[in-house]
Amino acid sequence: MATLRAIKRRINSVKGTQKITKAMNMVAAAKLRRAQENIINARPYAYKMKSVLNDIAVLTDPDIHPLLEQREIKKICFVVVAGDRGLCGGFNSNVLRRAESVYNEYNEFERSVLTVGKKSRDFLKSRKYPVICEYINFFRALKFSDAQHIINWIIKLYLERKLDKVDVIYNEFKSALRQEIVVEHLLPFIPEDNKEIKRQDIDYVYEPSADKIMDSLIPLHLNVQMWRILLESNASEHAARMTAMEAATDNAQEMIENLTLLFNRTRQQAITKELTEIVGGAEALK
Amino acid sequence: MKGKDFYIDIVTPSRTVFSGEANKFFAPSVEGYFEILKNHTPFLSILKTGRIVIAQDAVKKYIAISSGFAEVLNNRITVLAETAESSEDVDVERSQASKERALKRLADKSPSIDVERAKVSLLRALTRLSVAEMK
Repeated sequence: MATLRAIKRRINSVKGTQKITKAMNMVAAAKLRRAQENIINARPYAYKMKSVLNDIAVLTDPDIHPLLEQREIKKICFVVVAGDRGLCGGFNSNVLRRAESVYNEYNEFERSVLTVGKKSRDFLKSRKYPVICEYINFFRALKFSDAQHIINWIIKLYLERKLDKVDVIYNEFKSALRQEIVVEHLLPFIPEDNKEIKRQDIDYVYEPSADKIMDSLIPLHLNVQMWRILLESNASEHAARMTAMEAATDNAQEMIENLTLLFNRTRQQAITKELTEIVGGAEALK
Repeated sequence: MKGKDFYIDIVTPSRTVFSGEANKFFAPSVEGYFEILKNHTPFLSILKTGRIVIAQDAVKKYIAISSGFAEVLNNRITVLAETAESSEDVDVERSQASKERALKRLADKSPSIDVERAKVSLLRALTRLSVAEMK
């Protein structure tokens, strides 16, 4: 049986841990609020942009711009977006596990991986996946230019034909309690079916010219999509951390209660034992 | 006259500025202002800084935008703008301040001044102010 002092020490240590998890919970909640606002405001723009691009992909000739061109897929790049830091429940491990299984599905292609976030890099590098590029340490202060960096790199490789297909695996923010892992197709453009428009419908009237519009619209679209993905992942990370830390705080509380009970019981036992000894001793003296 | 001829969405990276029906739409493309009415042919254009006018019957709404894109397809207009403010949203004080700042920069002939940038910001400020007056 543990001594009183050992139990007391253990209670204090759990209390210390609980203070930390509680603080992390509150910090995550505050950050989540801002991250959530950002993603909710960014979504309409990104979705509209996507639907415009989809219309374009349906209506125009794919040869109009190299980024719209359809070619045979040989080389696939997976962009794996995870966090920079741990202690956020299943946030990182779920997305990484999903990335592994998606990667293994495409074993007949030449594959490469682009990692976003420290956890993603550490995990995939240590398992010897072919990481071609890594981006770390920007979730603390996310900027639109971070998304641009990633996209510039992808566009460059894509135009050099070092990649034929780009998929992004990330956590989509559904609500503070729910994040969903999504595998999103970034390049090439595959027009989705749309009941309202058909390929044989007439092409757009462009102003100024088709290639000028495409030159600025398509990279912007990719930047905006990547930006949205980073915001989604960021909001999910804070939400996951908040939930995980809340659970940790609750667990610590339960542990403290159990230990306190044990502490009191042990103390009671010690007193009883002492009393019996005293009474026994007094009896013996009679 | 009555009619809701098409649907317009004006979105920016930070929010949705306008979403609703109208029967006339007027916007600044890089090649000049254009007007859209019902059943316009599919149209795609780059927008420059300027004023968008949306008319719902007799009611007109003015929105200041800086560069973006406009798509017209099947009586749906989508505007993707970098920034957009309707006449009620314009921060008059800020626009006034940036107008004065730009004018001062343009008046200053020193070579360190980026004239193009000052001109662009002056144009943006003037557009915002003109929209704010349309309340």
